[in-house]
Amino acid sequence: MSAWHVSGPMAERYASGSAAEPEAWSLEKHIESCGPCAVRVSTAVQRSPAGLVIAEIRATVLAGRTPAAAPVRWTARMMWAAGPAVRGAWLLSLAAVIGGALFLAYGVGFEGARPLLLALSPAVPLAGVALSYGRYSDPMHEITAATPYGGLRLLLIRTAAVLAVSVPLLAVASALLPDPAGPPGAAAWLLPGLALTLAALALGSYTGCRIAATVLACAWVMAVLAPLAGPPALAAEAARLVSGPDAQAGWAAAAVVCAGLLAVRRSSFDHLESV
Amino acid sequence: MRPARGDLPTGEDRGERDDAALLRAVARGDADALAVLYDRHAGWLHARLTRRCADPETVREVLQDTFVTVWRSARSHRGGEAGGWLWVIAARRLVDAQRARARADRPLREEPAPDPAPSAEERVLAGLEYGEVGAALDRISPELREVLRATVIDGLTTREAARLLGIPEGTVKTRALRARRELRAALAQLASDTHPLGGMA
Repeated sequence: MSAWHVSGPMAERYASGSAAEPEAWSLEKHIESCGPCAVRVSTAVQRSPAGLVIAEIRATVLAGRTPAAAPVRWTARMMWAAGPAVRGAWLLSLAAVIGGALFLAYGVGFEGARPLLLALSPAVPLAGVALSYGRYSDPMHEITAATPYGGLRLLLIRTAAVLAVSVPLLAVASALLPDPAGPPGAAAWLLPGLALTLAALALGSYTGCRIAATVLACAWVMAVLAPLAGPPALAAEAARLVSGPDAQAGWAAAAVVCAGLLAVRRSSFDHLESV
Repeated sequence: MRPARGDLPTGEDRGERDDAALLRAVARGDADALAVLYDRHAGWLHARLTRRCADPETVREVLQDTFVTVWRSARSHRGGEAGGWLWVIAARRLVDAQRARARADRPLREEPAPDPAPSAEERVLAGLEYGEVGAALDRISPELREVLRATVIDGLTTREAARLLGIPEGTVKTRALRARRELRAALAQLASDTHPLGGMA
């Protein structure tokens, strides 16, 4: 460091704004790297009329520091982005479906618990999707819709959050249930679930997620439960819908078609009033 | 002439923590460290900003934003002089604050960009405290001086300087070039004034 330092009178001139440019430049460059001189100049400025303003700003800065104090963790940000998808009624209903199935199977020895759960499983993520985006379910919808992350991107993030929560839970639950042998297999509902979810998103681009998910969930339940005649019939019906290479291939094709439709309609989520 | 650290008016309860230690403490969420840092640096930052911006309200906002930024991003400080780091933040904030205004009354005329000239900054800086350069700086026009100050002293890029001063980038380049040329001429003039018979530098 050079032997050049800011003298008292020079600090006073600078603080009062009367220092000439060459002197001011020297001082400014110097105090960037010389702490003691920086303190001397700051003290001189704080004694000047500007000191009042500086004290006010000090109070504001120190008072306003609290909200930013705790750095937002990545998981917290992720949860925030996932928004209504991971809280509230939907999680409860998911827990109720799984708990109910386990209770039926082990508590009362109801043999149809597993087919029932498998029959309901594809519709469970739909409820999450319906609740995860849109002005009906998200109190901050107007604000989030206006951000660059609003629209389809946010909807997909939240759908992913829904699937990330529901798929493992349902898979574990169906694996835990006693297997009365025969189709459908425990993982057979995954493709129908994916196809229904994508269909809900694609249909949602026309009607809004809530209506789309409701319509599809009802259609699914009707299709499974229509010939309602006790557990064996339910199992057979569910098996007919999801088991076998043909059915699975059909669901996969439906999922691809819906994904394509969603890609084509991706901008509609930015404008749709009813979403 | 260099004062010892112990003589500093740093207050009784502030101990001997240097700025780098303070910034580390701020990064850990120590509000007292932020207060000490503010007391050490807010004064000169305010004065320096005031020399660059006539509007006290803007200066106030920029100074406040600067320390809010320090509070939030102290952990991004990677050693080095705290004063210089603070000024980089403050200068960027000032540029941002001026952007809207600079855009509003930005002149449409765009001057042609000049060829790159050999840099005279280092020489100017090296001799800043000597009388000759000071006198030479006094001789060049205020428009050229403010461009020189923004690019050389404040370390802004051409684009940032343009935003700060509210002039097109091309004008910044032209003026920086002309400022160097005039400084050189003024130095030569001074040299020949001082040593009428000697050769100029």
